Amino acid sequence: MKGAELVIKLLEQKGVEHIFGYPGGAIMPIYDALYQSKVKHYLCRHEQGGAFSAIGYARSSGKVGVCMATSGPGATNLITSLADALLDSVPLVAITGQVSQAVMGTDAFQEVDVLGLSLAVTKHSFMVTDVTELEHTLNEAFTLAMSGRPGPVLVDIPKDVQLAEVQFKPRLVEEAATTQQQLLPAAALDQARLLIQNAKRPIAYIGGGVHMADAVTQLQDFLAQSPMPSVTTLKAMGTVPPSNAYYLGMLGMHGTQAANHAVQQCDLLICLGARFDDRVTGKLAAFAPDAKVIHIDIDPAELHKLRRAECAMIGDLRELLPAMSVPTHCEDWLKHCLAMKQQHGWRYDHPGERIFAPLMLKQLSERLPDNAVVCCDVGQHQMWVAQHMSFSHPRNHLSSGGLGTMGFGLPAAIGAQLARPKDTVVTVSGDGSFMMNVQELGTIKRFRLPVKIVIVDNQRLGMVKQWQELFFNERYSETDLSDNPDFVSLAAAFAIPGHSISRKDEVLPALEAMFTWPGPYLLHVRIDETDNVWPLVPPGAANQDMLTEKAQ
Amino acid sequence: MSNHVLTIQTKNQPVVLERLLQVTRYRGFEVAGMEMKPMADFSGLLVTLSIVSDKPISLLTNQLNKLYDIEYLDCVESELTQAKAGSMRA
Repeated sequence: MKGAELVIKLLEQKGVEHIFGYPGGAIMPIYDALYQSKVKHYLCRHEQGGAFSAIGYARSSGKVGVCMATSGPGATNLITSLADALLDSVPLVAITGQVSQAVMGTDAFQEVDVLGLSLAVTKHSFMVTDVTELEHTLNEAFTLAMSGRPGPVLVDIPKDVQLAEVQFKPRLVEEAATTQQQLLPAAALDQARLLIQNAKRPIAYIGGGVHMADAVTQLQDFLAQSPMPSVTTLKAMGTVPPSNAYYLGMLGMHGTQAANHAVQQCDLLICLGARFDDRVTGKLAAFAPDAKVIHIDIDPAELHKLRRAECAMIGDLRELLPAMSVPTHCEDWLKHCLAMKQQHGWRYDHPGERIFAPLMLKQLSERLPDNAVVCCDVGQHQMWVAQHMSFSHPRNHLSSGGLGTMGFGLPAAIGAQLARPKDTVVTVSGDGSFMMNVQELGTIKRFRLPVKIVIVDNQRLGMVKQWQELFFNERYSETDLSDNPDFVSLAAAFAIPGHSISRKDEVLPALEAMFTWPGPYLLHVRIDETDNVWPLVPPGAANQDMLTEKAQ
Repeated sequence: MSNHVLTIQTKNQPVVLERLLQVTRYRGFEVAGMEMKPMADFSGLLVTLSIVSDKPISLLTNQLNKLYDIEYLDCVESELTQAKAGSMRA
């Protein structure tokens, strides 16, 4: 068979059911091999949209996402999505066609150095120069994408390799990956248990690494056996159920007041699969200033990178968390955190008729079934979703955390809907973000995907405008989007029905109409451009110095 | 400011030098010198990097150790460093 056919056969053998992509000259042999294959290809309307769909597929299912693109512009259009997957540790395999090796390096048509471009945005990247290396390379790509700290892997395949003849004997049964049993770090665990037992004010700071390690159950057991308050990063929302009384919500720049104050006051910070990101810590030197730190991660490079830990462990959280469980002695601290949570609870008694986005999102959250997936874009609406919606599992909340990529939400929702066809999938977008990958409405139409689209429209690049208001003397440079298209008409052009609302009393009936409609639906929600996200830790400030709406 | 010498054995991949240099630059370390030669059986490359930085060298070695093409990495504080540090103190 040809190399191109081997690629598809190997995807079939690995159990890949869905891939996302866009064809072009240098990848035509692979698309030819795909024709009538068991692997279902979803033609997106832009390579970035295809790769974000693969990311949404991976994040909502726990499987590897796969995307394909041609050489040159096809491959460069993948770069943003690869960076997104790298910063959020998403297992992704990207396959790109490349011009034939005979013309590589001659500035041939649609030739660009994809391997060179990929260095900064992938966990690893391969170029296959001999068809006999193709099978091994693709297998390595899948293994690397999923192993350790997951991430994106790119495989660049020149056209002559795709067309070369090769022998391929499909294995009847996929070999199970063998994992070496690692010894638990006994001394570090002893130290961790001692620190937890002696702490008067311990707190668990939970990151996306917990669910990436498939350790959500172990984390919840740990919190039950070692009662302490907990806070999560944006990516870890849903790891601790909202019913846990001592869960204080998201920490950081737009975190809850209770979460930020508790972290600043704690004497032991147990960092689990998180990385002391600057949006979490605020002024790093003033972050949790009185705390000793226990830090556990699968990636050794994260330990001591930004904050020195008294106790650092590399390993599998599924094994380390049960071994670290020990009774705590912090009843007064628990009461104190509970009181802070009550004192700083959200208020939804917003005056007037116009729609208050936090309340609308709370109502949306309450209307959703427990297993619904919510995909966000980036900006004010993203933070409101994190603050005012509840999630039962981190795979139900897809948000571009590390890279903060506008245009993520709509294509990610496509991937999530295909990964979980029985579950309700909603994308909550802003009017700025939505337009960044609006072409994917065509993908929703083509595959009749029942994705529900909520656009929170303030006719502004709201988060940038908020910073201009607060930190740039109200100089609103290039953040006015008041010439937005009519979003409902735009959706109608893709045969997607929609409705526009601007008053509070319209919210519940509109949500009902959206969820009772069997197919895709767009709900356009007009809000006031003066609404801002609170609280906010100003850049360079410590997390206890949050700005609140009342203080403005 | 400290100097370190990294001795690195890599797979024989054409892109591996770019990877080493890209990670070193991005993580904020300066390359003061570099030598490279293929191993005797051409199965890999032996690379020696002289690194200057005011950051802990572990911040770099931890990142380099994650690279798929790196098979061995050793790090020592260089004598040149000691001399430079001495002259700086003087």
